[in-house]
Formats: sequence, C-alpha cells, structure tokens
Amino acid sequence: MFNNQNILEYFNQLPTLLKIVWIGSVVLFILILFFLFYLYYLRTYLRSKELISKNLFTQYENDLITYLYLGENTSQINSEQQTIIDKMKVSIQNTFKRTILISVLSKLKSDISGEMALAINQLFIKTGLLNYALKKLESKKWNQIALGIKELTQFEITNVYNEISKFQNYPKQEVRNQVQLYYVSLFHFKGLEFLDNLKTPISEWNQIQLLEILQKFDDQEITDISPWLKSENDSVVLFALKLAKIYNQFQVIEILLQLLNHKNKEIRVSAIEILGYFQVKETKEIVKSNFLDRSSEEKITFFKILQDIVTADDEAFIIENTLNPNFQIRFLAFQLLKKNHIEKLHELKQNATEFDNSRIFNFLEVV
Amino acid sequence: MDSSTVQIILLIIHTLFFIYAFSVIVSYIILAIISGIESNQYMKKNSFVNYNEILSSTVSPSISIIAPAYNESLNIIENVRSLLSSHYVNYDVIIVNDGSKDNSLELLIEAYDLEKVNYLINEQIPTKPLRAGIFKSTNPAFEKLIVVDKENGGKADALNFGLNISNSQYCACIDVDCLLLEDSLQKMIKPFLEVTNVKVIASGGVIRIANACTIKEGKLLDVNLPNKWIEIAQILEYLRSFLLGRMAWSRLNGLLVISGAFGMFEKKTAIEVGGYDTNTVGEDMEIIVRMRRYMEEKNVKYKVAYIPDPLCWTEAPDNYKILISQRNRWTRGTIETLRKHRKIGFNPKYNLLGMLSFPYWFFYERLAPVIEVIGIIYFIILIALKNVKWEYAFAFFLLAYLFSVIFTIIAIFSEELTFHQYKKKGTGFKLIFVTLLEPFILHPVILYAAIKGNYDYYFNKKKKWGEMKRKGLSKKII
Amino acid sequence: MSNLKKIVLAEDNSTLSLLLKFRLEKEGFQLLIAEDGKKAVELIEANAPDIILTDIMMPYISGLEVISHVRNKLKLQIPIIVFSAAGQEEMVLKAFNLGANDFMGKPFSPNELVIRVKRLLI
Repeated sequence: MFNNQNILEYFNQLPTLLKIVWIGSVVLFILILFFLFYLYYLRTYLRSKELISKNLFTQYENDLITYLYLGENTSQINSEQQTIIDKMKVSIQNTFKRTILISVLSKLKSDISGEMALAINQLFIKTGLLNYALKKLESKKWNQIALGIKELTQFEITNVYNEISKFQNYPKQEVRNQVQLYYVSLFHFKGLEFLDNLKTPISEWNQIQLLEILQKFDDQEITDISPWLKSENDSVVLFALKLAKIYNQFQVIEILLQLLNHKNKEIRVSAIEILGYFQVKETKEIVKSNFLDRSSEEKITFFKILQDIVTADDEAFIIENTLNPNFQIRFLAFQLLKKNHIEKLHELKQNATEFDNSRIFNFLEVV
Repeated sequence: MDSSTVQIILLIIHTLFFIYAFSVIVSYIILAIISGIESNQYMKKNSFVNYNEILSSTVSPSISIIAPAYNESLNIIENVRSLLSSHYVNYDVIIVNDGSKDNSLELLIEAYDLEKVNYLINEQIPTKPLRAGIFKSTNPAFEKLIVVDKENGGKADALNFGLNISNSQYCACIDVDCLLLEDSLQKMIKPFLEVTNVKVIASGGVIRIANACTIKEGKLLDVNLPNKWIEIAQILEYLRSFLLGRMAWSRLNGLLVISGAFGMFEKKTAIEVGGYDTNTVGEDMEIIVRMRRYMEEKNVKYKVAYIPDPLCWTEAPDNYKILISQRNRWTRGTIETLRKHRKIGFNPKYNLLGMLSFPYWFFYERLAPVIEVIGIIYFIILIALKNVKWEYAFAFFLLAYLFSVIFTIIAIFSEELTFHQYKKKGTGFKLIFVTLLEPFILHPVILYAAIKGNYDYYFNKKKKWGEMKRKGLSKKII
Repeated sequence: MSNLKKIVLAEDNSTLSLLLKFRLEKEGFQLLIAEDGKKAVELIEANAPDIILTDIMMPYISGLEVISHVRNKLKLQIPIIVFSAAGQEEMVLKAFNLGANDFMGKPFSPNELVIRVKRLLI
C-alpha cells in the first residue's frame, strides 16, 4: 500500500519535468474543487436573490399604487402616505432593495403622465432616493455616474443642472450620452444648446433617442437650428438635418442648399433627401452641375426626390440616365419617363442597350 | 540511420508537440482573461441602456430579416410568427422558400393571407430565378412579411436572393427554425449605431440550444437543461465558444466567423463583396472573412461586433449521426474558407486579420484535429514498440484533462455571472457532471467528424457536389 | 348576475395594469387583465367584454393582431382603445385602419383614460 512516505519518495525521484506536471495537476485539482464549491454557492445565492427580488417587486408595486391612490384628491401628503414613505426610507438603506424600488418607480413612470407622474417624482425625492442618486455622481466608476444621471433624468430633477453639466465632456461616451439625454428630457429644445460647442461625435443611437424624447413634448416650438447646420462637427450637422425634416424648417433652405457640396457624403445625401422632401426646385441645378462626380448614393437619392420635383426641362437629363450603369438609377429614370413622357419610354424600349432592362419594363408594365 | 539521428528526430517531434500543446494552453488562458474583461465591460455598458426609444422611432434604420427555408413545412407557420413578433418598428421579414418540395408555400399563403405581387428585383448578386413568385399579405397586421418562392439553389443562394430584394439598410440573416427573442433586433443593431470612430460591417449573435426548452407558439417560455449527455455536452461547448472564445476575439476585433444562424450585416458592404459564396458549405464564415479582407484592402477602419446576449435559440442535434454530419460540414467549411483566402495568412498588409486571427484559426481550429490524430497514431506506435514511458503519459494526460475541465468550469462561471439562463435547482450538478465526462463522450465524436471532414474534403469530391445539389439547407448550423 | 361593465385590459407592464385595475374598478368596472396578446384574445372570446384596452407592443400577439382578430374573425363591434409609445404614428394609423376607436400615446394620464373609457361606453 501507498502511504505518504512512499508518495513523497516516489515524487522526489521523478525528473523535474514530471515534477512540474504533477504539481500543476494538483494545483488544478484544488482549483477545480474550489470552483465547484463556489459555483454551488453562487447558484444558490442567485436563485434566492431572484426569489427575494420578485417578492420585493410585488410588495413595492402594491405600496406604490396604494400611495398614489391615497394622495389622489389632495395636494398634501397625508399620514398614511407618510407611513409608506417612512417604511420605504428604512428599507432602501440596502442597495439591493433600493435598486428594486427604483425599477418599480421607473417602470410605471415610463408609461404614465399627469398628476400621478408628478407624485412619483415627489416620492423619489421624499424617500431619499434622490440623495443616493446624487451620491452616484461622485463615484469614480463611469457606470455609476451614468446610472445616477439616468435616475435624475427619469424623475425629472431639474435643479441639478450644474452638477450634471460637469460631465458634459466626460471621456466615456456612455456618460456623455446620458448627460445629453438629461438636457433634452428636462429642458426640451432649450436643452439642445449643448450642440453649440460640442466637439465629440453624437452617435446615431443617441441622435435617435434625443429625437424621440423631443417628440414626446407638447411644446414643439423649436429654436433656430441654423448654427448647428453650419457646425464643424459632422454628427451635429447630421442631427440638425434630422431636426430640419421633422420640424419642417423651411427657413434653413439656403443653408441646406450649401450643404449639397459639403465634404461629408452622408451629409450631402441627407441634404438632397430633405430638400426633396421640401420640394425645393433649386436643388436640381446644384446637383446636376456635378452629377457625374457624385457618389451613387447621392445619385440614387436625387433620382428618388426627382419624382416629386420633376419638370419638363429635366427630360434630357433623365433620358441620359436611362443608360446609367446603376440598375436603380435606370429604373428610377424609366419610372419618371413613364409618368411624364410615356411615348419616349416606348421609343427607348425598342433601342437595344448594353443593359438588360426587361425586368424594369415588366415591372413598369410597359407593353 | 544510426540511433543518434533517430534520437534527434524524435526529440524534434517531441519538442514540436510540446510547443503546440503549451501554446494552446497559453492561448486559452489569454482568451479567457480577455473575455472576462470584455464581459464585464459589456454588462456595465448595458446596465442602463434604454431600448424603448430606438424601438418606436421611425428614424431608426430599416432592417430585413432574411430566412431561407427548405422543406420546413412542419414548423414554418410558427417560425414565421415568431419572426413577426419582434419589438422593432422599422423591419420586414423575407422568407426565401428555396425550392422546397413540400407544401410550405401553400401553408404560408393560407395562414398569412398572401397574394402574389409585382416586385422589381435588382439582381446585384446573381441567383437562381423565381419559381412561383413573390408574395405579400393582404392583412395589414402582417404587412412586414415578404415570401419569396424561388428555384432551389442552396442556403447561400437563398440568402443572396434576400439581399437582392431587401430595401433595408441592414440585413439579419438567420435560419428559419431559429427562435428569436423579441428584443433581438434592437440589441443587434446597437453596435452599428453607437460606434462612431470605425465602420461596423457586421454583428454576430450567440446561439443557444433550445432542446428541452418550453416553446409555445413561437415564444420561449421556459429554459430547461436537456437530459441527454450529448445535448448537455454541446451546451457546454457552445458556452465555451460563445462566452469565452468569441467574446475575447470580439474585444481584439479579430472575429473570423459569426453564426450563420443569426448575424446582422450592413447590406451595402455585403452586396459590394458579392454576397454569400454559393460554392462552399461554410458560407457564414466565408462571407465574414471576405468582408474583412475587402475592408482591409480598401484601408477603411472597421469592426465586426458581437452581442453575447442569449437572443437566438435553436435545436441542436440530439444524436451522434446528425452531429457528426454537422461537424463534418463545419470542418469542410473552415478548410474551404481558409484555403480560399490563404493569401491573408501571415500577410502584414492585413494587419491583425492576417497576423493573428487567420493564423490562429489555421493552427488551432483547422489543424488541431489533424495534429491530435497524428499524436494518437504516434502514441499507438510507441505502445506497439513498447516504448511508452507510462509515467509521463499518465501525468501529462491528467494535466490536460484537468485543464480542459477547468476551462469549461470557467465558461460556466461566465454564464452564471452574466446571463444565468439555467436557473433551476439541480442543473448545476448536471452541468458539472457532464463537464467531467465531456472529454470522453463528446470530444472523440467531434474529432472523428473533423477527420472525416478532412477526408471528405480531399478524397471525396463527389460527396461535396452531391450535397451542393441536394442543397439540404444546412439545418442547425452554428 | 352582475351588470358591471366588463373591460379586457391587455398590457405587458404589470405595474401599469395594476394601477389601471385599481382606478377602473373604483369607477365601477369589472377588469380582466391579460399580460400578452394571446391571453387577451382568450379573455375576449370567453367573456364578451364591453370594451377592450390594448397596448400595441406586446409579446407574441401584437395589439394590432388583437384588433384584427376582434373585428375580422370575431366580427365584434365593441369599442377598442389602443396604447402606443410616442412616435409610432404609423402603428396608430394601422390600428385605426383595422378598426380601433381611440388611441392614447404613452406616457398617458390614467385620469384621461377613465374619461375616454366612459365616453365610449355611453
């Protein structure tokens, strides 16, 4: 039989390489045992946490609704409501419970407006959740800061504007995004002032979010967007272009026409599209003047908007482009002809070209 | 040859094997560490994201889901229903019925009130022609649905058809039998919209195994762990590959493959490179390598993103026969892709793609099974010659085994700390139990399939062409 | 037999459902709550409600399909109010095309909802 003595003797006489391998195996084995116990602990912990959080959620949900109905016809906080506040105050000293209460409040907040929504904001302040959110702004971790700003946005805490502005140029994109969302959610169009001297790009994702938030407000009186259309920051220009379209900013047409020759392709495409939407005929001369040098996206977009602003003098240009190597442009050109110069289309159909246009003719039902 | 030459040759062989094994282990450790960092970052970043605005916005970019179907009549109605229930506004669903011989099309027409429409196809990528035509629903509730009935051309050809007729900026290419969660599209589109310094050309999703999960009418209701060892072993394998491997490669921006079962592309780039290659069984890997190569050659900064959330669920093979044929196909797909793009390998012009990703795939994915088999043969010869130092063999074997176990356990940890899908009591024990067995039950099968794949690739061309012709849509492909 | 007016409320935000349930029950309605479109259709078929309140974005069967089902398959003309997130103009138009009677953009005021429900039930 082996005993410790034997094992040790056996080990000592092994060559170094084998010794290392054996030591490695033993270390791994111990690690595995350790991981297994830890895994068991972790799974049990996660399971119980989930159960607790589910129960807490229901409890807070009921508390919240009771609170809201108790206060329905009064502007004062009554004693029953105060009891609920006090109860919440105590329980949210625990971070885990605090997170759950916030999720209950924000879940309802996102779907309702009016007096009840204001009552939820009040509750956020009264329970002291506000102070916890402010404390997050002092954190060294960027995700805590972002989370703090998000809460302050959601419960409409307008008087911390200065504290939040400090993070306007924070190195982490996610934090900057939250700051921008705060501005716009709480100060609407006026909140867009940050665009004036924004150096960092606004991601497409954040642009969409900002636009959606703006559209929620009843007050749709937009401030002058022309400085942003002239911005050095391309993403600001692109954002302003979206604003121009959504809020029908006819007064900036002159600037839009200048953007047709902007150095950024995306801006040019977008400018063409919006000018078409506004049905600005001057667009045609500018785009046509250097049509061949433009990218295919610009060309296609231009042909799309041409459907709305076409006039008799465009005929030669359209016919020329029935020979464009790009399928989509050819199609749009033929479509324009069908609408406006059907006889010309029949004539062209007879001409054989290097392109196969049969699909297009079939689609346009040109017999 | 005198004995000293033999000795030297043997020493060289041993050293090579040793270096290979050692580098595998080191690379795994490095990948695990990187994936830990990346997972942590990802979870932080997504802890406060609000997806609602993106969902409802009409300014959000358009997405087409392209799903090829071949003889799927059994579940197609349900599957389409699941695809139509995505919580994203600006999207459509293109079902490409790739010359099915069953009554899929009739079923779809009946269930979704379809009628044939006149549709202009811009054939930017050449494909097989239409069969019955293109259909849309007369019911406004299903207006997102487009059904294409075309002649059989294989999965890649069907996807190309979808790319041709899509009017969207982005395309999500998926297997029709995959179940997508309702928030899949907004999560997958996010990297395209949030990255501002480089161009995102594709984003890949995770595939989760749906065996034994409760699915009702196209909706995932309950996640369960299956009973068969072979299924659990594949779950472990997927966890390792998706949560450790790909997570780390995405951090390095070195992903060479995104799952054919769920990946999103910028349509313009996908079409510019010519769409999917219809001549390979590994079209999902091939298109990514080609798109990356194209971007490198154009000298544009780009990124292939990766979303680790469990969004796409699919049935994995539950028997060895199907599993082997699946892995056989994957092996051939890898070989074909690497061979086709061999120019990239060790070519500094291709930066990280050429100097790291490609060589890694070549040595540790492509060659691994071959080297393992050579090792086994060598070991058998040594046994025959009674030349085995059993002390060494046993000690090294044990070390390798323990290492593979610990690596899987780390993958399980990664899952528990991030998405924690297998919540039920007792599943932890089952997972651990199969972790201990997996090197004996799943690994040999996969090794066998990979070797068979190598054999078929080099010596069995008939098989390849047979398969291409039958076009068994590569069901259940990762 | 009760002659309370019956309301089917289909909404996947449980807190909102709970709030509206309290509110509408206080006004003297009987509330049947569904957390997804599928359940809503079942409740409608089983209970013949007097009015339906449905969110558009719901798991599995969308609000649009619920409306379509009620109007086209069940051939019922009971009033339907839809809820939708702001900015989903297109969705709202579709809902009206399918036969919805009224709509409320989220976030909305519960008090306003009560008024609209009452108006449709007169």
